[in-house]
Amino acid sequence: MNKLTCWVNHKQVTVSVEPGEMLSDIIRYSLGLTGTKVSCNEAECGACTVLVDSVPVLSCNYPALKAQGKKIVTIEGLEDKGTLHPLQEAFIKYGASQCGFCTPGQIMTAAALLEEKPEPTREDIEYALNDTLCRCGAYPAITNAVLAAADYIQHGKPIEFPSLEFEGELDVVGQTVQRPEAVEKVTGKAVYTDDITFPDMLYGATLRAGIPHGKILSLDTSRAKKLKGVRAVLTAEDIPGRINHGLIVQDWPALVGVGEKVRYVGDAVAVVAADTRHIAAKALTLIDVEYEPLPIVTDPVAAKEPDAPLVHEEGNLLKHIKVDKGDIVQGFAEADIIMEDLFTTPTYEHAFMEPECSIARITEDDRVEVYVGSQIPYSDRDQIAAALNIPKEQVRVRGPLIGGGFGGKEDIAGQIHAALLSRATRKPVKVLYDRHESMLVHPKRHATRIRVKLGLKKDGTITAAQTELYGDTGAYASLGAKVMGRATTHSTGPYIVPNVKIDCYAMYTNNPPAGAFRGFGALQADFAIEVMIDQAAEELKLDPDRTQAEKCP
Amino acid sequence: MNLFKSYAKPGTLDEAVKILSEGPENTVVMAGGTDLLLDIRQGRHPEVDLLVDISEVKEMGAITLEEDWVFLGAGATHQQIISNPIIRENGQCVVEGCGLVGGPQVRNIATIGGNVAHSLPAADGTVALLSMDTEVQLASREGTRRLPLIEIFAGPGEVTFDRGRELVVGFRFQKKREGEASAFHRVMRPQGVAIAILNMSAWVKVVGEKIIDLRIACGPAGPKPFRGHETEEFIKGKTIYEGFFTEASRILGEEVSLRTSAHRATREYRRQLLPVLLQQVLERAVSRSIKKPYHLKDGSHE
Repeated sequence: MNKLTCWVNHKQVTVSVEPGEMLSDIIRYSLGLTGTKVSCNEAECGACTVLVDSVPVLSCNYPALKAQGKKIVTIEGLEDKGTLHPLQEAFIKYGASQCGFCTPGQIMTAAALLEEKPEPTREDIEYALNDTLCRCGAYPAITNAVLAAADYIQHGKPIEFPSLEFEGELDVVGQTVQRPEAVEKVTGKAVYTDDITFPDMLYGATLRAGIPHGKILSLDTSRAKKLKGVRAVLTAEDIPGRINHGLIVQDWPALVGVGEKVRYVGDAVAVVAADTRHIAAKALTLIDVEYEPLPIVTDPVAAKEPDAPLVHEEGNLLKHIKVDKGDIVQGFAEADIIMEDLFTTPTYEHAFMEPECSIARITEDDRVEVYVGSQIPYSDRDQIAAALNIPKEQVRVRGPLIGGGFGGKEDIAGQIHAALLSRATRKPVKVLYDRHESMLVHPKRHATRIRVKLGLKKDGTITAAQTELYGDTGAYASLGAKVMGRATTHSTGPYIVPNVKIDCYAMYTNNPPAGAFRGFGALQADFAIEVMIDQAAEELKLDPDRTQAEKCP
Repeated sequence: MNLFKSYAKPGTLDEAVKILSEGPENTVVMAGGTDLLLDIRQGRHPEVDLLVDISEVKEMGAITLEEDWVFLGAGATHQQIISNPIIRENGQCVVEGCGLVGGPQVRNIATIGGNVAHSLPAADGTVALLSMDTEVQLASREGTRRLPLIEIFAGPGEVTFDRGRELVVGFRFQKKREGEASAFHRVMRPQGVAIAILNMSAWVKVVGEKIIDLRIACGPAGPKPFRGHETEEFIKGKTIYEGFFTEASRILGEEVSLRTSAHRATREYRRQLLPVLLQQVLERAVSRSIKKPYHLKDGSHE
């Protein structure tokens, strides 16, 4: 253990530092300055930016001991005697914070820029903020806010709401309204789940399968349980209630037990609660699991073959969605040209800035309270209650701010695990994912394979559309049937089509699950049909934009 | 998560080489650590017993003029390099290469010595220095030695000296003389934070209208940072207005070894970029040399 003495926000501090600890660890967890965010934790995203001796650095990749004697400024140190920094004021006025998780990093990086270049151009700002990512996509507002702050500092021009081109006398519509939590978000006071701590809180960690398909032959946690500082090691046997969770179909085990199958690399096999994150991580390495590897299927079309390996015993088809309208044979017979093509879209990752975090604790009246930045807290409550085999009223889900979700925080992540560990230890337990675990575990956008066959008249009128869609819903259903249902109904676009035949197959595979993601299936289908319309317009020597506009209802 | 068991931050070169000579088995030198710490964390680098942070060794932070030479300390950060008047005057390609690395947070920490010692074939600062015919200065308990930069690369991530015992102290290249100029450019994936798909750096000496000397470096174009000697030989002696570009591109295409990488680009795409970058860096370097706009005569390509 080493001592680190440095200046943080104009005050001298001395803290104990473990070798290998990063400056962000010290700032967030030793000093409790949780305005500094850790998002990627690998020096890519800029969320953890602080100033060290006046220059911006990434605190997640800056050894704490390197800061010996240096002057550090975090987002909390930017205010001057209770007055917001002009950048903070401008971020509020310009709505430059959306989820807010990247905001402290954006502001700190911009603050350093304004020190170096008091009158930056738009290009200067974009160059300086190049490495500071905003997943919500607020970049134009951020750039405008920095320009406005510079204008105020240099020329005293007051920072005002940007003007809107709207004629009217309404109270809200046409007015710029300040986001209710804007001040918290620009000052670092906004609370996300990992910013919360409780006395005696333990840290949870999850053992993942690491293989895409296999049967668990044996599972031995005895070595992990003996490790000093480990308070609980739980497996499927320790789940008192329903093992499976799922938003519509309950097919996703919170923990996979002996004799059962893991169906993707991210399946959870055991969970640990320990005194520190390091001990919890160490304990995972002491759990022995023996698998019988099983053949895998990684493609939704292959999954439909009769001899495909079965992901679930009932078969690989989650749902066959059909649309029949008019007379498809007649429709193609009436066409002057018939166009046909195959489109594929890949899996996407949401990459929300805030990785998943859940904290569970037992209240004085013996209820379970779970803190989680979730998109569907009531569903979390129901699923936690089912797993614990207690009435819903005994579970309370509390929602701190969410650092971005985009559909990726609708399913259960660590909520049930935290609750199980907290019940087992009677202590608060935090389960925080790092970026790798986040990417591995949560459902993604469906990869699809879409065949489109279109019949058209010479003037671009569509006489018939036949589409076939395969969606890769991965190992578990999540919202797969709903998402692919949306893809189905969007696969003929917004056009009036008299004769339609659609077959959509949502297929299980051994890939990570797919579920909700902005656009919810429409994106994939719209991509296919719009490219098809463009190709048809080219073939018919028509203007594709006009063809699209004229054929919409 | 003990990334390293102990940590030292020497203030002088003597102190640094002493620590290195006496350190335990897995003694590792860290400058900015922007690559190294991630490699350790993500299991690509073995565990470290002693991490020697050389970012504050005073001799290594200097950027000075020494008679005909520019000395560039290995501890200089990318930000210090791009804002330094000596480098801006004498090594434009180095300024351009270092200015394209990461964002300000990374440029404030990452050093040119770390960029070179990591020995990645597409490291921007390294490729720029290579086109400056740079010499590298190494120091250990046994003393210091100086050798051509190209000689320290052994392969991707591998060097010809013991990184746990010997230290890259700095670099030197010739001061700019009449008719000399350089330029660097690269093509990236749009995220803007990863390694270049392809980068290139050119240094030229133009007297009258004749290219009497030039150097071309690029990466990734093989297991080590690459110098295009055959292309250089072909162009050398030609006048800037004779149509040498198409043939020069062909020769460069033959002497490089391009490959497909999983996360960046295909070999074919890199092949198409090669003449694009060659044209850009040559035109820019020659323009700077002759102090007026310059366009390659037969510089059209697909």
